[in-house]
Amino acid sequence: MEFKPTIVAFLCNWCSYTGADLAGTSRMKYKPNIRVIRVMCSGRVDPTFVYKSFREGADGVLICGCHPGDCHYQEGNYKCLRRFKLMKKYITQMGIEPERLHLEWISASEGKQFAELVDSMTERIKELGPSQVKQVAETLAI
Amino acid sequence: MEEPRIGVYICWCGTNIAKMVDVEQVTEQVSKLPHVVVSKNYKYMCSDPGQELIACDIQEHKLNRIVVAACSPRIHELTFRRALEKAGLNAYLFEMANIREQDSWVHDNREEATRKAIELVAASISRVKYHEPLDKRSVTINPATLVIGGGVAGMSAALEVANAGREVYLVEKSDRLGGLVNHLDLTYPYLYDAGSMLETLLRRTLNHPHIKVFCDTTVEKVDGFIGNFTTTILTENQQPVTLTFGNIIVSTGLKPFDASRVGEYGYGRLPDVLTSVEFEDMLRSGQILTRSGKPPQNIAIIHCVGSRNTEFHEYCSRTCCQVALKFANQIRTLLPDSNIFDLYADMRAFGKGCEELYTETSRKNITFMMFDQQKEMPQIIRSIDPADPHMLIFFREKISGLGLEVPADLIILMVGMEAHEDVKDVAHAVGISVCGNQFFIEKHPKLDPVATTTAGVYIVGNCQGPKGIPDAISQAKAAAARVLATINQGSVFVEVTTAQVNEAICCGCQTCILVCPYSAIHFDQNKRVSVVNEVLCKGCGTCGSTCPTGAIRSKHFTDQQILSQIAGLMEMTLKIN
Ligand SMILES: Cc1cc2nc3c(=O)[nH]c(=O)nc-3n(C[C@H](O)[C@H](O)[C@H](O)COP(=O)(O)OP(=O)(O)OC[C@H]3O[C@@H](n4cnc5c(N)ncnc54)[C@H](O)[C@@H]3O)c2cc1C
Ligand code: SF4
Ligand code: SF4
Ligand code: SF4
Ligand code: FES
Repeated sequence: MEFKPTIVAFLCNWCSYTGADLAGTSRMKYKPNIRVIRVMCSGRVDPTFVYKSFREGADGVLICGCHPGDCHYQEGNYKCLRRFKLMKKYITQMGIEPERLHLEWISASEGKQFAELVDSMTERIKELGPSQVKQVAETLAI
Repeated sequence: MEEPRIGVYICWCGTNIAKMVDVEQVTEQVSKLPHVVVSKNYKYMCSDPGQELIACDIQEHKLNRIVVAACSPRIHELTFRRALEKAGLNAYLFEMANIREQDSWVHDNREEATRKAIELVAASISRVKYHEPLDKRSVTINPATLVIGGGVAGMSAALEVANAGREVYLVEKSDRLGGLVNHLDLTYPYLYDAGSMLETLLRRTLNHPHIKVFCDTTVEKVDGFIGNFTTTILTENQQPVTLTFGNIIVSTGLKPFDASRVGEYGYGRLPDVLTSVEFEDMLRSGQILTRSGKPPQNIAIIHCVGSRNTEFHEYCSRTCCQVALKFANQIRTLLPDSNIFDLYADMRAFGKGCEELYTETSRKNITFMMFDQQKEMPQIIRSIDPADPHMLIFFREKISGLGLEVPADLIILMVGMEAHEDVKDVAHAVGISVCGNQFFIEKHPKLDPVATTTAGVYIVGNCQGPKGIPDAISQAKAAAARVLATINQGSVFVEVTTAQVNEAICCGCQTCILVCPYSAIHFDQNKRVSVVNEVLCKGCGTCGSTCPTGAIRSKHFTDQQILSQIAGLMEMTLKIN
């Protein structure tokens, strides 16, 4: 059976979520594997949200925020970037391929970039194949 | 927690959603989820009968949580929150699933789109279980208004507000009010005098007892929120002044495109190639002359300079065609025997009185010709004879396909409009966004065109997109009406999705204080815990994801709500797989 990855995406309300909406109003087409969860700022993305997504079976996790300097709350995206680097290290130690977690800046006008991002990320995750996290965690009962 | 009783409503949005998403199937699938009491679909959920449907079900089925799957929450979340309130339910016991902008409109496989909708709705259902009622906070409105940018739009907005007896601070970057209209001679379509119109506006603005004008000044940073903004500006003589105000109107305009970027036209190199703005100045001087001081015999006007061109700006600047027609008329009056060539890419003489101006102008012996901007730009060259100051324009006439040569001793470039360099600084200062063309983004292009997503901040005139004076002033007056309505209300309700510290869990590490961009958290030395000032907190949630002990609740975006959303989503995903 064809592998249909699930990508959980955390989008900040002000730039990235609006950019994703713009892809819609412009009727751009992209791969249907993404599931968006809205947060007010990328700075709100708690590492537990990312770990929980993998733990529950997500094959990839995407975080999108405003471009550097454009955060609606001044610097939430810088905090997100710092945390992202730690999260990458952490998931690698947990045995998750670091490519499964991705961070990208998407502005309110970048509907096209968002659509392209979803397509390229979906391709990348397809190449990696299904994530084993949930299964392993269940076998180990953690 | 009371037992959740959830009502789920799937919107068709006419065919916008229903065409790509099998709404019946979604309704059916999610109806089996725990706590779902009713699951329905309807043609237009946002319509009155749609909202009525929710209200009736709340009464009849004692619902205490509502999920609507429809368009983006950025469009109708507020509509549905109000519907809940009317039906006696707290507005925050509601969640929206975006199955239009982020589903039916972006996919072309009905099965996949339907599946995605089911998962998104399941996630929302799982989240809404943990929603809790939040109290609204009422803030009083400071009746003063800040207007940034003193062109015709800014002045009109300021006058409208001030005429209602309210204070206005008008901040202008340059040394004078008036903006671009300072350059204009006559205005299209009726060829009225721009100077006298501007003069009236200036006089009223400068003499108004309720308007305080600050020239040579910009606004670097605004603190606060609707009703209670503050900023400190430096006046002309470098005096810091702190202003407090309840609303902001941004009217910073646009600037003319830099014509030297179009190599083909030789602007800056060829002395008799002018921009439309420079030609306005020339018209105001009352004479049309070449650099050598002679009246030109052959005059050419070239449209779409920097506009509608993928290399520069793809958008249409929306005024230059009409301005070109205005010029053709004025040249014909001043130089009755000259040859006038108008080279356009498309003639866009839209707007009241403008097509009529085109018809009238075309009777005045003016040669209109079309070129194909996408294929081949016209080229301007100096004629070879050094004694002869004339230039030649080479171009391919679009309809006939013929290569033509037009002589000219004066060429006017109809430059487009583009954003000022500091547009992002202004956007950051007041907390609004710009679109890909660097115009400020309105809250909704049709339903709310002068408001922005930041409450209390409005955008008017050219900074929202290129436009003529009548449209710029209409927007200014519309925004003024919005501001006055808010001031008259006296107070508004603001979001209460702030952070809150659970004092029992806080270990006093103060990490949250370090990360808060608004200094909204302080440390209570007695209790040895951090405390959030709800008035300063803007609800970004950064402290919540930083706190090592989990003591901070980001209201309406709590860990529990989001983790449950993830769980609900993934459960449904695996079930379908
Ligand atoms: C050549 C030409 C001819 C035209 N002819 C016509 C015509 O005949 N009829 C017609 O209807 N329209 C015409 N227009 C269009 C007209 O100029 C605009 O509609 C009008 O200028 C828009 O007014 P505005 O107040 O929005 O912007 P502007 O006139 O651009 O005013 C904006 C003001 O904001 C100030 N500002 C900018 N940034 C800041 C900042 N950061 N802080 C503080 N202040 C700032 C600027 O200095 C300026 O004073 C013409 C335009 C051009 C270029
Ligand atoms: S108004 Fe006319 S000249 Fe100006 S950009 Fe649009 S089509 Fe070109
Ligand atoms: S980060 Fe958390 S534990 Fe530390 S002071 Fe702030 S609220 Fe308390
Ligand atoms: S939510 Fe953001 S603004 Fe509010 S206290 Fe926390 S960090 Fe500060
Ligand atoms: S609001 Fe977009 S990253 Fe902070």
